[in-house]
Amino acid sequence: MPLLAFRRVAMRLAGAVILLVLPALGPSTAAADPAQLVQSTAQQVIDIVKTKTGADRQAAILGVLQASFDLPAMGRAALGTHWNQATEDERTRFLKVVATAEARAYSERFGQYAGQTLTVGKVQQRANGASIVDSKLNQATGQPIKLEWEVRGDRITDVKVEGVSMIMTRRSDFNSYIQNHGGKVDALLQELESRAGR
Amino acid sequence: MIESLSGTMKRKARRSLVAMAVAATLMGGCASGDTGAAEVWDPIETPNRFLFSLNRVVDIIALRPVAVIYRDWMPEPAQKSVRNLLDNLGEPVTAINEVVQGEPGRAATTMARFLVNSTIGVAGLFDVATSLGLERTKEDFGKTIGLYAGVEPENGGFYLMLPVVGPSNARDGTGLMMDYLVDPFRILTFNLAIDWTAYQAARYGMNVIDYRSRTIFALDDLEKNSVDYYAALRSAYTQNRADVIRQKREKTDTKSELERRDNLALVR
Repeated sequence: MPLLAFRRVAMRLAGAVILLVLPALGPSTAAADPAQLVQSTAQQVIDIVKTKTGADRQAAILGVLQASFDLPAMGRAALGTHWNQATEDERTRFLKVVATAEARAYSERFGQYAGQTLTVGKVQQRANGASIVDSKLNQATGQPIKLEWEVRGDRITDVKVEGVSMIMTRRSDFNSYIQNHGGKVDALLQELESRAGR
Repeated sequence: MIESLSGTMKRKARRSLVAMAVAATLMGGCASGDTGAAEVWDPIETPNRFLFSLNRVVDIIALRPVAVIYRDWMPEPAQKSVRNLLDNLGEPVTAINEVVQGEPGRAATTMARFLVNSTIGVAGLFDVATSLGLERTKEDFGKTIGLYAGVEPENGGFYLMLPVVGPSNARDGTGLMMDYLVDPFRILTFNLAIDWTAYQAARYGMNVIDYRSRTIFALDDLEKNSVDYYAALRSAYTQNRADVIRQKREKTDTKSELERRDNLALVR
């Protein structure tokens, strides 16, 4: 009798464990192919650059950024340890203004880079669950530019241009600015907001 | 080991060892930030920032306008020729570095490039070697130090802002100095008492303008999109050098190494 009961409990436990583990496995196995994500994002941006200009282009690129990139995570990463010390209000303001700033920056960059092609290469899995997609931006003159895209789940979380991570550069930038202005996130917010207003 | 080398090589070897020792002691700790991303160690930030603002003034007034004119008005083939010539003058230093890095095959390819381009390519103006299949590589002593130093590539010692040259650090600054000292062209023209200032102005001046013309877009972008340009540049520079050194350390590119060996057979 006790043995049967034990087996029943064990089966139920096993079942419960499997049910718990499956959803955790789910997202990573069901994630969209990272290379596909990078390719389609690049294609969307190229199409936008060809067909739109000015404020339209910026708005369209912002749309692509919001759909393909994990902007909240990127914003949090760019603020680093200061995120924990920021108030709720500051955080919302920050995410909003950083999204606009990034959209404008990418819009200007892509405006310059017209008529170039992106060749997507191999995908590597990193230990922390992110995938790194290698790619090359082929230019008419000079060497191709090495781009690495960090993809977590089904969103892009960082781009490295010739080894320079956009997030890490931003983080150093913001960190230095905050420290030089008395450690206040608000000072950074004001600077970013005034730039966005221009 | 040093005793077995000849006179001048002994001096050079000793100098290199001293330089390496200096570099090693200069490799200090980085301020460790959050989630493993360390901030660049910058103990002399105030003088660095001052030099940076001086550099920017010179850049805005003189260097950048000249670089823009060079980029926009100099015909593309002429720009290529200038770049080929400057690259060719730098091949011996690259070869020396490749030997020290333990890649004699690559060094041989680089010297082959130098010979081919200097003769057939009319003193380096035409890059004939690449069309023969000899790929160009660029090595400097900063990378060599980074290859052998037992620290993570991001750690290049303290950050250093150099006049005109721009961002650097203890490792790369030492590297620049070493490359300058062992450069055969510099030694040659110095010993032959060729008009020294004219040679320096021409070669290094052209180097600066050519390099500046190629970085106009990246630096403009960085300046426009950062709230603290100095910090952003410091981070970008450190990351770029770290990536290059990390690639050298990993050296997983066996396919291209084999290709290089095949190309060597062409020259023999």
